[in-house]
Amino acid sequence: MNQLPVNEPLLSKTRRQFFSQCGMGVGSIALASLMADKANAVAPKLVNPFAPKGGHAEAKAKRVIYLFMAGGPSQLELFDYKPKLVELNGQPIPQSYIEGKRFAFMGSSHGVKCLGTRKRFDRRGQAGTWISDMLPYTSGVADDIAVVTTCATNLFNHAPAKLFMNTGSGQFGRPSLGAWATYGIGSEANDLPGFVVLQSGPRGPRGGAVNWGSGFLPTTFQGVPLRGQGEPILNLTSPAGITAERQRRTLDAVRDLNLQRLVATGDDEINTRISAYEMAYRMQSSAPELIDISGESKATLDLYGVDPARPSFARNCLLARRLIERGTRFVQLYHTNWDSHGGPGETLEDDFPKVVKDVDQACAALVKDLKVRGLLEDTLVIWGGEFGRTPMGENRDKTGRNHHIDAFTMWFAGGGVKGGQTIGETDELGFGPAQDRCHVHDLHATILHLLGLDHLKLTFRFQGRDYRLTDVHGELIPKLLA
Amino acid sequence: MNLIVVIGTLAASATALVGAPVDYGKEIQPLLAQNCYQCHGVTQPKRGLRLDTAAFALNGGQSGPAIKPGKSSDSLLVQVISGTHKDLTRMPYKKPPLSDAQIALVRRWIDEGARAPANEVPGSKVHWAFVAPKRPEVPEIRNSQFTIRNSIDAFILARLAKEKLTPSPEADRPTLIRRLSLDLLGLPPKPAEVDAFVNDTSPDAYEKLVERLLASPHYGERWGRWWLDVARYSDSNGYSIDAPRSIWRYRDWVIAALNRDLPFDQFTIEQLAGDLLPNATLEQKVATGFHRNTQINQEGGIDKEQFRLESVVDRVNTTGAAWLGLTIGCCQCHDHKFDPLLQKEYYGLFAMLNNQDEPDLPLTTPDETKRVADIEAKVAAYITDLFKKDADVVARELKWEASMTPEQRQAMPQLWREIFDVPAAQRTDAQKLVMVTSFVENAPENKTHQAAIKKFRAEKPKVETTMVLRESAKPRRTYLHIKGDFTRDGGDVKAHFPAALHAAKAPADREPNRLDLAQWLVDDANPLTARVLVNRVWQQYFGKGLVDTENDFGTQGSLPSHPELLDWLAVEFKQPTAKPNSPAPIAYSLKGLHRLIVTSATYRQSSAARSDLARVDANNKLLARQNRLRLDAEIVRDVSLTASGLLTTTLGGPSVYPPIPNGALDLGQRKQPWPTSTGPDRYRRGLYTFHFRATPPPAMSVFDAPDGYSTCTRRIRSNTPLQALALLNDAAYFEFAEGLATRVLKEVPASDSARLEHAFRLCLARKPSAGEATRLGDLLKGELAAVTDAEAKSVKAPAGVEPKQFAAWTTVARVLLNLDETITRE
Repeated sequence: MNQLPVNEPLLSKTRRQFFSQCGMGVGSIALASLMADKANAVAPKLVNPFAPKGGHAEAKAKRVIYLFMAGGPSQLELFDYKPKLVELNGQPIPQSYIEGKRFAFMGSSHGVKCLGTRKRFDRRGQAGTWISDMLPYTSGVADDIAVVTTCATNLFNHAPAKLFMNTGSGQFGRPSLGAWATYGIGSEANDLPGFVVLQSGPRGPRGGAVNWGSGFLPTTFQGVPLRGQGEPILNLTSPAGITAERQRRTLDAVRDLNLQRLVATGDDEINTRISAYEMAYRMQSSAPELIDISGESKATLDLYGVDPARPSFARNCLLARRLIERGTRFVQLYHTNWDSHGGPGETLEDDFPKVVKDVDQACAALVKDLKVRGLLEDTLVIWGGEFGRTPMGENRDKTGRNHHIDAFTMWFAGGGVKGGQTIGETDELGFGPAQDRCHVHDLHATILHLLGLDHLKLTFRFQGRDYRLTDVHGELIPKLLA
Repeated sequence: MNLIVVIGTLAASATALVGAPVDYGKEIQPLLAQNCYQCHGVTQPKRGLRLDTAAFALNGGQSGPAIKPGKSSDSLLVQVISGTHKDLTRMPYKKPPLSDAQIALVRRWIDEGARAPANEVPGSKVHWAFVAPKRPEVPEIRNSQFTIRNSIDAFILARLAKEKLTPSPEADRPTLIRRLSLDLLGLPPKPAEVDAFVNDTSPDAYEKLVERLLASPHYGERWGRWWLDVARYSDSNGYSIDAPRSIWRYRDWVIAALNRDLPFDQFTIEQLAGDLLPNATLEQKVATGFHRNTQINQEGGIDKEQFRLESVVDRVNTTGAAWLGLTIGCCQCHDHKFDPLLQKEYYGLFAMLNNQDEPDLPLTTPDETKRVADIEAKVAAYITDLFKKDADVVARELKWEASMTPEQRQAMPQLWREIFDVPAAQRTDAQKLVMVTSFVENAPENKTHQAAIKKFRAEKPKVETTMVLRESAKPRRTYLHIKGDFTRDGGDVKAHFPAALHAAKAPADREPNRLDLAQWLVDDANPLTARVLVNRVWQQYFGKGLVDTENDFGTQGSLPSHPELLDWLAVEFKQPTAKPNSPAPIAYSLKGLHRLIVTSATYRQSSAARSDLARVDANNKLLARQNRLRLDAEIVRDVSLTASGLLTTTLGGPSVYPPIPNGALDLGQRKQPWPTSTGPDRYRRGLYTFHFRATPPPAMSVFDAPDGYSTCTRRIRSNTPLQALALLNDAAYFEFAEGLATRVLKEVPASDSARLEHAFRLCLARKPSAGEATRLGDLLKGELAAVTDAEAKSVKAPAGVEPKQFAAWTTVARVLLNLDETITRE
C-alpha cells in the first residue's frame, strides 16, 4: 500500500504523474529489450497517483456519492417541521432573529414575515424522523438516513456558496472535496476516472468547473464531467470513419515510437504518457459500457424511475451506482433548479414540487439498491444543497423563500453513518440551530474521517503553507458516526 | 522518566558523538520558524511564549523557560514536542508531530548548550529576500574543459564543481532550434529554417537565430500568454452567470508591449496605473485592464459592494504574488503568521487599490461616440413616448415577463434581472420604463416597433470597448476588515506601505495612490520585484525557478538553489552591463533577459537523463542537464496547427471560436454562445480561443491552462488519459491530422520515405532515427493494406489524392501529432 502523500512538495509530485499497471504488459517487455543495449540509460520509475492508498485510519466509507441539490432546497417544506412558524404565518419574525443579519435580495424582495409551511409532516420509520408528505420514497428509507437539520454555511449567494460547500472556502483556487478525496486515497477504477461529475435539470450548476476543480492540487484530481447519454466523456469517441482496429493500430504505433523515445531520453514522463494512452483506449470501451443501461433489469429501472429514453436525475443515480461498482471513488450529481424565490418558475406552490418529484424516488432507490447489493455499508451517500431557505417568505408574486445559511438540512447514509436518526435541533422558527450546529467545515471533517482521512493531516503545501480542506476549522460530528 | 524519553536521549547522544555541533541558524531556527512561529511568534504569542529568538525561548512564557541549556530532557520545549509533558498537549498544536530526527536535533542543540548568536533579531527582518540584491562576484572558473558562454554558466559550473558533477554536452542543432522556437515563439520551426540553421557554419549562427526569433511578432504572443496567466485573463465574467466580456484589447496591449520590449518597470506602471500618468494615452488606459481581469458576480440578490470589495482583495493579493512573490493575501484576515507583514499594512495597500471606478472604455473616435449617443437617444425617446402614450404597455410587459422560464430570465442583462425581483406593484416609473424597453426590444409581439428601432440603429457605428480602471474623483474610505469580514469595521486605514519593505519615494504630504504603488514596486530599492520576475522567467526555461516556490519568497518559501545567480540575474536585469561596441543596454528589458538566458551554455545543454545524476540530483536542481518540458496547452495546439499547415498567423483581435466538442458548454449555469469560427479564424493560435471561466475550452483545460479565477504564477504539467483523448479524437486535432496528410502528399513527390521524413520533421524538426523510420514505414504499409473500401469512401480526400492514400497518411499524421515528443520541448 502506498504512503499517503502528505506534505509532498508539488514539484516532485507532478513529476511522477499518472501510471497504471494495466496496459504496460507489452510495453514492459518491449522496454526491457530496448533497454538491454543501452548501458547508461536510466530505468524509469513507475508511479500511479491514483493507485489506491491507505488513509490515516481505517476507512468506513470507500467511496462517495454526493447528490448535490443545486439552488438550495427548502428544508422547511421537507425535513424541518416547525408548527410555531405555521402558527405565526404572516406575522413579522421577531427582530431578535434577524438583527444584524445579511440576506440575499436585501434591496428588493427580501421579506420579514413568517411563512408557515403548507405541507403535512409526519414521523417516519422506526426512528420517527420528521419528513413531509412531499417525500414519500425518502420516507421509506428513513431508517437508513441520518438527517442533519442544523447545517450552516458562510455565504448566501449561489455561486460563492457552492464554491464554499465544495471547497470549504469562498476564495477561488482551492481543491474540491472530491479532488481532496482522490488525492488522499486514490481510486480503484482502472479504466474510468476516479472523480466523476454528472448533471441533470434544466441547466448546469452555477459556477461550473470550479465546483469540481482541483485548485492547487495536480489537475489529475479534478472531477471529470460524464454525460448519461451520447458521448459520455468529451472526445471519447474515435473520429468519424476510424474503426476500432485502426484506432488500435494508431495507438500501437504511438506506443512503440514513444518507447523508442523513452530509451533515447530516459524520461519517466514518457512512460506515464504511454500508460495514459492505454487508459484512454480502455476508457473508449469502458465508458460506453458504463452508460449502457440496457442490461439493467426492469425492476431496477422501475425502482429508480428511469425512463431509458431520456436523461434524468434518476438515470444519473443509476449511473452513480454503476460507477462505484467499477471502482470510481467519488461521484457527484448536480440537480437543478431548487431556487424557490416565488417568482415565475420558482414558486413553492407549483415549481418546487416538480423538483422534489424529480429526485425523491431515485434518491431512495439509490439507498435501497446499494443496500441490497451490499454496497451501502461502505458507500457514503450525501444529499444537500449549498444552503437552505429562510423561515420568512419573500415579497414576490407567489410564495417563495430567500437563501438561508444559518440552519438547513442535509442527509447522509451508508459508509460509517448511523442511520435512522435526526441530528441537531433548530429554534422554534427554524431560523438557527438550538443545538448541534454542523458547519460545512465540520461536515467536511466528518466526511474525510469516514474515508479514513484525518482532516488535520490531509494537507498540501502551496504558497509556503500547508493547506487543508477545513482550513483552520472543522470538528468531527460524533453523532453522525455509526 | 519514561521509556520514550530514554530512547530519545540515547538516540540524541549517539548522534552527538558524530558530526559538527548543531548550527542554530541553519538547523534549529528554520525548524522553529516552520513549526512554532505561527503561535509563538511576534503576534499574540500563546501563553506568552515566543520562540522567534533563542533568547525568547530561554526567557520562556507563563509555563516557565522553554529550554534549559545542557538539559534537553528537562526542557519544556522537548517535552511538548515529544508529547511527554504530563499537562501540556503535544505540540505543534493540532498538527502532525515533528519527526524523531527533528526532535533529536533539538535535543542535541539544547544538550550542546543551546548556542545561538547573541545579536539575533526577532522576526524575519533579516530574511534574505527582504534585503535588496547586490551584484555578486561572478565565480572565476579556471581551465574549465566546459564552455562558459556567459556569467550564468560560471555560477552553474561553480555549483556543479562542488558536487563534482559535470554539465551535459550541447544539444544538437535541430533540438536547439526547436527548443528556441518553442520557448521564444511557441511555434515549431519550419524544416527549411532547421536546414538553414544546421548548415550555418558562422560562429554566431546561434546568436543570429536568437535575434531573429526575438524580433518575430510571435514572441509577443508566446510571452504575452505567460503574462496573461498572472493577469488571470479570461473573456467572461465568472461566478454564476459568466457572461462574455470585452477585454481582448488588454490582451493585445500585452502582446504589443512585449513585442516592442517595453521595459518591465514601465510595463508595470502602465498596467497598474496607466490612467494616472500625465496625459495618459489611450493605450496606457487600455493597459489598466490588468486589474479588471477580476470576476464580476452578476447573480441576482447580491450585495454589490461585497463583490466589489472581493475584487479589490483579489487585486491586492495578485499584486503581492505577481510582483513581490509574497503571500500577502494571508493578511486580509490577520497579521502574517510568518512574514513581517501586518493586517493593517494589507489594508494600507488595499487603500491604494480601493479608489477606482470600473468603466468600459470606448475605443471609438469622439465623433463616433457622439453618433452612437445620438442614435441611442432617439431610440430612448421613441420608447419613452410609447410608455407615456400606450396605457396598456406595462400590463403587456408583465404578461411577457411572467411567461419566461427562470432560465430565460437568467439570460437577461443584470439590470433587468434586478427589476424582475421587484414585485410589479412596487416598481418605480424608471424601473417600469426599463422593463418596457426590454419588452419592446425583445418580445416577438413587438415586430413593428422593433423594425422602427432597427431603422434608427442602421447607421450606428460598431463600438468596441475594453474594461479599464479609472481613479475615482471622490476618494473611498478604506477600513480594516476584522478577520477579513467586510461587515466588521476595524477603523480607518490610510494608504501606506509595509514597514518591513523598502521606503516609498512618494511625497509625504499626501496619501500614496495607485501610481505610487506601481512606482514603489519597480523602485530600485525593492528587494523582491526583480528577483521574483527573473525567477519566473527562469522557470519557463528550466521547468522550475531558482526559487522553486515562485509565489512565496517569504520565510516559508524555499531557499534559492543558486542564491548568487538569482541576485546576479536580478541586478543584471535592472542594471545591465554595457558591452563594448554595442548600443547602451536597456534597463528592465525582458528581451535582454531572454537573450541572456537562452545564449548561456546552461540553456543549450542536452536534456537526456543521466544515470550519474539520477542518484545525486534526481530533480535536476543543479542543472547538469536541460529538462524536457511538456508544452503549454495553447502551444500543444499551435504545434499541431503549424505542422498541419493550417495556422492563421494573424495577431490580435477579438477572441475566436474554433470547434469544440459537443457538450463542452453544458455544465455552466447558462449555456454560452459558441458561434464556431469558419475560415481563417478557425485556425488561430491557442491563446485567441474564447475562454469562458465556468465552461473553459476542454482541450485547453485538460492541458492545464489556468482557469482565470486567480493569478497563476506557475502552470502544473499533468499527464492524463483525457489529454490522450483530446489529441486522438478531438475534431480539431483530427482536422489538423488531415491537414498534415494533405500537405505531405502535396508538398513531397511520391516517395514514401521522403514523405515520412518530411512529416516527421514538420512535427519534430529532427530527422527520424532508423528505428523510427522503420516503424513508421511499417505503419504506412500496414495502413495502405488495411484501409477498407468503406473507410476509403468515408474520407474527405482532397482533389487529386487517392482516398486510400489519404486515409493511410491521415493515420500516420495522427500518430505523429500524438507523440510525446511532439508536445514536449526537449
